[in-house]
Amino acid sequence: MIFNRRQFISGSGSLFLMGSPLWNARAEQIQKRNIVIISLRGGMDGLAAVPYIGDRELNKARPQINVSTKNKLNSDFALNPRLRTMHQLWKEGQAAIVHATSIPYTERSHFEGQNLMESGSTEPFTTDSGWLGRGIDAANLNGLAVSLPMPLILRGESNPDNYYPTKMELPDEMLMQKIASTYQSGGLVSKTMNRLQNRSRFLQEKAYGYEAFNLADTAALELAREEGPRVAVFDINGFDTHATQGGEEGRHADNLAKFDRVVNTLKKGMGPAFDNTLILSLTEFGRMVEQNGGNGTEHGYGTAIFMAGGLVKKAQVLTDWPGLKKADRFEGRDLNVTIDARSIYCSAMAACFDSDFEKLRREAFFGASLQDYTTELFKV
Amino acid sequence: MQPLTWKGEIQTIKQGLERYAFLRNETNAARKKFKKSPSKYQEAQRQIRHDSGVELSERRTLQIRFDSALNSAQPVLERFAMFWANHFAIIDKDELPQLATGPFHREIIRPNLTGSYENLVKEATTSWAMIEALDNGESIAPNSRRGLEMKMKNLTPTVNENHARELMELHTISPAAGYTQEDVIQLSYIMAGWRPARKPKKLGRFTPIKFNPEYHQPGKLTVLGKEYEQRGLSAENKLLDAIKDFSNHPECKKFISFKLCRHFVTDNPTDAMVGHVVKAWNSSNGALPEIHKAVLEVAFENLSSTSKYQNPEIWFLQAMNIAGSKEPSFDIPEKLEILGHNPLRPIQPNGFPDTEAEWLSPEFLIRRLTFAKNMANVGRSYDISRKLDIENMVRKNFSNSDELIEWMGPNASRREKLTLLFPSNWMLFA
Repeated sequence: MIFNRRQFISGSGSLFLMGSPLWNARAEQIQKRNIVIISLRGGMDGLAAVPYIGDRELNKARPQINVSTKNKLNSDFALNPRLRTMHQLWKEGQAAIVHATSIPYTERSHFEGQNLMESGSTEPFTTDSGWLGRGIDAANLNGLAVSLPMPLILRGESNPDNYYPTKMELPDEMLMQKIASTYQSGGLVSKTMNRLQNRSRFLQEKAYGYEAFNLADTAALELAREEGPRVAVFDINGFDTHATQGGEEGRHADNLAKFDRVVNTLKKGMGPAFDNTLILSLTEFGRMVEQNGGNGTEHGYGTAIFMAGGLVKKAQVLTDWPGLKKADRFEGRDLNVTIDARSIYCSAMAACFDSDFEKLRREAFFGASLQDYTTELFKV
Repeated sequence: MQPLTWKGEIQTIKQGLERYAFLRNETNAARKKFKKSPSKYQEAQRQIRHDSGVELSERRTLQIRFDSALNSAQPVLERFAMFWANHFAIIDKDELPQLATGPFHREIIRPNLTGSYENLVKEATTSWAMIEALDNGESIAPNSRRGLEMKMKNLTPTVNENHARELMELHTISPAAGYTQEDVIQLSYIMAGWRPARKPKKLGRFTPIKFNPEYHQPGKLTVLGKEYEQRGLSAENKLLDAIKDFSNHPECKKFISFKLCRHFVTDNPTDAMVGHVVKAWNSSNGALPEIHKAVLEVAFENLSSTSKYQNPEIWFLQAMNIAGSKEPSFDIPEKLEILGHNPLRPIQPNGFPDTEAEWLSPEFLIRRLTFAKNMANVGRSYDISRKLDIENMVRKNFSNSDELIEWMGPNASRREKLTLLFPSNWMLFA
């Protein structure tokens, strides 16, 4: 079924929507703003996703794993052809890129890097809540993780929900109460039990599959619901391509395509609510400019951030491009960083939570000195 | 360590490697052969997978693992084996979980638990499973003989930093030791040359590991301020010397002791707990039995003040154990998948986590609740015997058995009682 906002507003599409619980008569009035965070784990290669075409440095550095630049974004950048939805959204003014960005972490460890990308701290493994969780607390909202574990980024006081359904049946209500009574009140198990006993019916649906895009279907319904969560978090693994990274067909591009499919599923599933949504990607670091001998890439520093959805202000590549020549690279090997990714995270939250950038900077990012890009990047 | 309790066939590293080589090489050949016909390729692939026994291997490995946990005369040592297997995690990549990880646990981890930590690191680091998982075989040092040949042809030889980084970060000294990117590169040079031997030829690139100096960076190499140089005819001692130094590094002892206490005692080990294990480490020169003993001492000393949220696999085993189940079923992979914890399939080389917050979410809890209900379906469940006397089981296994029996209720069915008991606080924590 093809559906777009114009059909819906004119009413001609409403027949298609009968029985769909979310696109009810009030849909037009729903002004709830959503943010969807997609963590691209393993170190997403910004240079493979959004290749620089301004000079020939990249071609020289990556003879075996270069990516076609046929989908040009502007005179300097192209988009990996596997990012089809992103390219379409770009044409519609609903996708943007931040390039040469990263969290301020240069040690190249996945585990420290992912910990910092989620905690928003600058010291690894010192904080047991996430920047998004603290932002949710500050703005008093609900969050939903689309993974089996609760990712660090969402943890905070608010005790968020997650969605990763099984086909099996829960014990009946009376047994559930009795089991719950054994949990220490105020403890994490007890809070978690309480959360799952009070869930919306969408979240009680059964499993269809665990690929991110399968789960995105349900997440889209939840996000589009007025009383539903305003924050959703996805994980896509496998970006750590030390060997056989490939160009457009290889492992790295396959993972980019998975990301793209999630974006596509959300766009389709959310209907008009997509216009009030921002999708933002995270990763712990980028990858080295030069490929290695195994047609892969080593851990690096600077990378790109994807943004998509109706809250994106316009199609743009926000960057202060540092250049790819050896002397311009970080430690002579990695794309340098000119924009602190946390500034983008904080601005995105400010835009989606209708909250003050300064307040979020203090409460979610421990008062780090960050730059406010809210009005430059997002519709507010 | 006593031999495995499993009485059936047990796949060796050599057999696993041969099957792995068969699977990968034949699949590649089929891909080339049926380039133009995807359906023929798929058919060939199915046949190759069948002939390699790849699915069976994973089932068998988990059965053997559960069999040891439920039947071993040394159950505590088996628990430590699980810890170390997770510490040296072989990631879920290609068909490693099915064909490499089980034999790695059985031949590299288990038999080396009576020796020193240093020896265990050496065995794990130079194992085929780890080198394949972390790509060390890809490394060609720039000044090696092969590297120089490449440069003559205008190619750039490079090292793969993955394994070197994880050896320091995850397996030994941790980032607290303060190594730099240059240290990682230097260690990659030291490790260059540890790669598949390419012999026997029929196995292609999936062969046992042998140090090959042709890929190794010659000369002195410096890691953490210490120089490593070749002694004797081969340079393989450089890595072994580095592992020796890592194993004796104070940050290594602290890091590993902390991890042991966090796994076995509490999510938040105190300095005193960690210190007790470090002390045993120092006085025994890193003998694993002494280190393990110290961890148990810490656990017993803090029994009343600590409780530990059990990971899904241990919880499942605990339930089988108190119910007196001795025979692990064939479908353990599916069961562990439901619980979200197949120990053969860690996504990242840091393995599975140890803390309550990492193992708790509404969906994780739902898995335990639904799983318990299924397990309690006595008569249909393979894991629990029809003849199980629940009251007797509770009396044998819980100090507060009266309270528990009353809580379950005199009129509850057997099925209800087990559905209640397994996901209750008393079973989730230990």
